[in-house]
Amino acid sequence: MAEADPCHDSLAAKRPLSPHVSVYKPMLTMMMSFAHRITGAGLYLGVIMFALFFAGLALGPDAFALVAWITNSLIGRVIVFLLSWALLHHLLGGVRHALWDRGLYMDPEGRELAARATLGGGLALTLLLWIGSTLAG
Amino acid sequence: MSRSAFKSGRTGRGAAFASDHSGSCHAHTMRLTAYALLPLGVLSIWFIVGAVGKSFDGVRADIGRPLPATVLIAFISVAVYHMRIGVESIIDDYVHDEGLKAISLAVNKWLSLAIGAVWALSLIIVAASR
Repeated sequence: MAEADPCHDSLAAKRPLSPHVSVYKPMLTMMMSFAHRITGAGLYLGVIMFALFFAGLALGPDAFALVAWITNSLIGRVIVFLLSWALLHHLLGGVRHALWDRGLYMDPEGRELAARATLGGGLALTLLLWIGSTLAG
Repeated sequence: MSRSAFKSGRTGRGAAFASDHSGSCHAHTMRLTAYALLPLGVLSIWFIVGAVGKSFDGVRADIGRPLPATVLIAFISVAVYHMRIGVESIIDDYVHDEGLKAISLAVNKWLSLAIGAVWALSLIIVAASR
């Protein structure tokens, strides 16, 4: 056994599995962790969408007509609204991680508060952004 | 082997359990880019939401101004690296087939570069022709 390979397939079944997501009772902090990853992936798609939008804007009126739905149709506006929420939610999630990096808000009450602040703050900032943008014309 | 082991970047016996010493750099880069994206993200989403409901000429006039164009280009320059390493983590976590993982990582790498190039070049054209 001195030459035993810890990676050998025959040992795979004997190794303990780390507890998976489904083992745990759903908690707010856990949901916010999922949300951080999901909004991050969503923003990747949003950035692709706006790369196409800006390309249309650069290429001229004919090309812009193909991407104008992004900012002018109802479905486009809904997508942009969701993207703006995803960005602000993900951004506040980043602030929460930056606080945790410094050892702040890591106790049970603190992390619950941080989770609520991220969720509520993201929604509040999104509404503020759209109200402000509408007022600014 | 149906299930792939964690790829450490080392070869040899027990390599799957060894660190490849790139983890701290990944975590540190994620944080540094995030700090830059805090102001750039807020300003960029303001300019993007500002384009909603506007005509071709209207959006060109707004986005092509020096500040929005510069901010949006700075934003995407940092964002593509942030999102590339973010999606690398997602691929590392959920894609267990070695071949598919290699393809996913390559697509992610070149797609993020292409997004940045198209986004930045388009904004330069819009700003320059204003």
